[in-house]
Amino acid sequence: MTKRSTFTENKRLHRLLSKFHIESRILLLLGAFIVITAFFSITEERFFTARSISSMAFQCPEIGIMALGMAITMIIGGINLSVNDTANLSALMAGLFLVKLVPPTATSDYMSLFIIGIAILIALVTGLLCGVLNGFLVGYIGVSPILATLSTLILFRGISVVVTGGKTLTGFPEQLSVIGHQTVVGIPISFIILVALGVLIYVILKYTTFGFKARMLGTNPTAAKFSGINSKSITMKIYILSGILGAIAGIIVMSRINSVAYEYGTRTYILLTLLISVLGGISPGFGNVIGILLATFILQVMSTGFHMLLLGVRGSSFFKDFSWGTLLIVFLIIDYFLHHRGRTE
Amino acid sequence: MKKIVNSREFVLFLILVLVSGAISIKNPSFFSISTLFDIIRSSLVYCIMAFGVLMVLISGNVDISFVAIAAMTSYSTHMLLLKLGYTGDITLYFVIAIFIGLLAGLLMGFIITQFNLPIFYVSLGYMTLWYGFNLFFIGATMNFNMPKGMVGYYARFLVKVKDPVVGETGLHISVIYLLVITVFMWWMLKYTTFGRGLYAIGGNREVAIRTGYNVKRITYTMLALVGILAAIAGVTQSAYSRFFNPVLFIGKELNVIAAVIIGGASITGGRGTVLGSILGVILIQVLNRGLIFLGIPAEWQKLVVGLVLIIFISIPAIAEQRAKRSRYTAMLKEDRAD
Repeated sequence: MTKRSTFTENKRLHRLLSKFHIESRILLLLGAFIVITAFFSITEERFFTARSISSMAFQCPEIGIMALGMAITMIIGGINLSVNDTANLSALMAGLFLVKLVPPTATSDYMSLFIIGIAILIALVTGLLCGVLNGFLVGYIGVSPILATLSTLILFRGISVVVTGGKTLTGFPEQLSVIGHQTVVGIPISFIILVALGVLIYVILKYTTFGFKARMLGTNPTAAKFSGINSKSITMKIYILSGILGAIAGIIVMSRINSVAYEYGTRTYILLTLLISVLGGISPGFGNVIGILLATFILQVMSTGFHMLLLGVRGSSFFKDFSWGTLLIVFLIIDYFLHHRGRTE
Repeated sequence: MKKIVNSREFVLFLILVLVSGAISIKNPSFFSISTLFDIIRSSLVYCIMAFGVLMVLISGNVDISFVAIAAMTSYSTHMLLLKLGYTGDITLYFVIAIFIGLLAGLLMGFIITQFNLPIFYVSLGYMTLWYGFNLFFIGATMNFNMPKGMVGYYARFLVKVKDPVVGETGLHISVIYLLVITVFMWWMLKYTTFGRGLYAIGGNREVAIRTGYNVKRITYTMLALVGILAAIAGVTQSAYSRFFNPVLFIGKELNVIAAVIIGGASITGGRGTVLGSILGVILIQVLNRGLIFLGIPAEWQKLVVGLVLIIFISIPAIAEQRAKRSRYTAMLKEDRAD
């Protein structure tokens, strides 16, 4: 009996601590966001202008949505390294449909909206199928998530190369660019999509039994299994969700830059999504969508800010690679100290 | 005998023979000594890097930064020696590159053991970091200025053959390094405390710690070796191709990891052998080469590698699940018998 009471006490303490930890993480991120924004506003006069803010708001949704796709798999103790290639493959499938199958005579507004709708549906279904493959490998066959998604990364990239012959697809209907270029009351549509998806995932993770089960699976898979949680189906659903998020990111990329290629973002996007997830405080079973969104904004501000500061320096984009890599390791180390302190207290 | 027939290496060898046979029937020009030498030559550097990947996979981790270390060590060594006006042969290149690779590996070991971080996450950052470092601080263009002593290195052959299609070709001298490294790795994985420790950590980390393996020291040694092997591969590849590339091997890390996994290394079971890794690398090279010989466009290479990889990671996972299930039912039966 006494044993049980100490157990529940410990659990309550732990819950309180972890809750405090998450709260403190959000505050920390908010503070960092304000400090970094202030720093760039002071050092760079072009930074805090309507033009640069709107360009940041146009740029961050795609990486933010991919980071959401990465983060939800990390919450169940997995990882989805193929999220960027899922995005590219989905966008390529939609792009192929638009370029190859649609006759250029279909110019009426109504008709092209319908066609774009179908293209988006194709992208979403592709993303879903990619998610099914990942979920099957990780959940049902039991391959380790890193290896499974690394293999599907190669496969998806391979399919993308084969279907396009390695070429870039362009020349989509004009109406498609609405998603990536238009605003509603001054806010970019893609940004609204990012926030809406953030709210949706937040609600799913926080207020549904599915979200609760997913977080339980992340904290302790064995315990989850013995409390009757169907870990296979949860894993499958999470990876499907991740694949669909990847597809949405792909559509936004396609609409923003009006072209798709199999190699878009393959150099740094996986690193960035992981960076955002780590910075946002995601660990198996824990984490918060607000953290992810804030981390996305912080990275976008840093990216734009450094870009402005280093304008004119030869090879400044290479310096960005260098600093992203360093930042990931630094954040991992900071995270270690945060967790370590939380545990010893 | 039965053990040999059932082993992963034997199965791989059979697949290799079958695939090569099938390609040779379709296109007889594949079956030639020059193709063999060519495959050995292109597999060589990947084999050397594969040994590093093998160690990391045996210990139950994944590292992808080795390609960037190979690029950074070879390119920075070259630029340094070029500045100093070096005209000698490749030996000094190896010495300096290995030293830098060792330092890079130790630094990574420090980050991982000191802060108890997962190797994969750190290696993702480490890879981007070193490629960025190379491009920004050292130089962003390929360098074709070879020192005098290295000019003829690419054509130093052990055995020469005349081929009707490609002219004179041969077995490159660097095969000797590969043999030495292979024997060394085999010995180390099999007969040293470090090697056994890798398998122990991969099998069950907690048990390995309690048995008294020094996990920190093993991690340091492992990553230092990964750095050294990457440096050797980087210099060898650059000497072959007669230019130094700041983004050498970029995107090739997945192929090497795929090869090692196909060779039987398992991230969950502390399994994997040197011979299996070599066969895995050669199989991927033969598949890639074979596609060209069969007239299938080169774009299909990634897709084929991806498919083969998915099959090869699924088989051990399914087997393990089955074993677990049968263990579980056996346990249940025992319970009922009680």
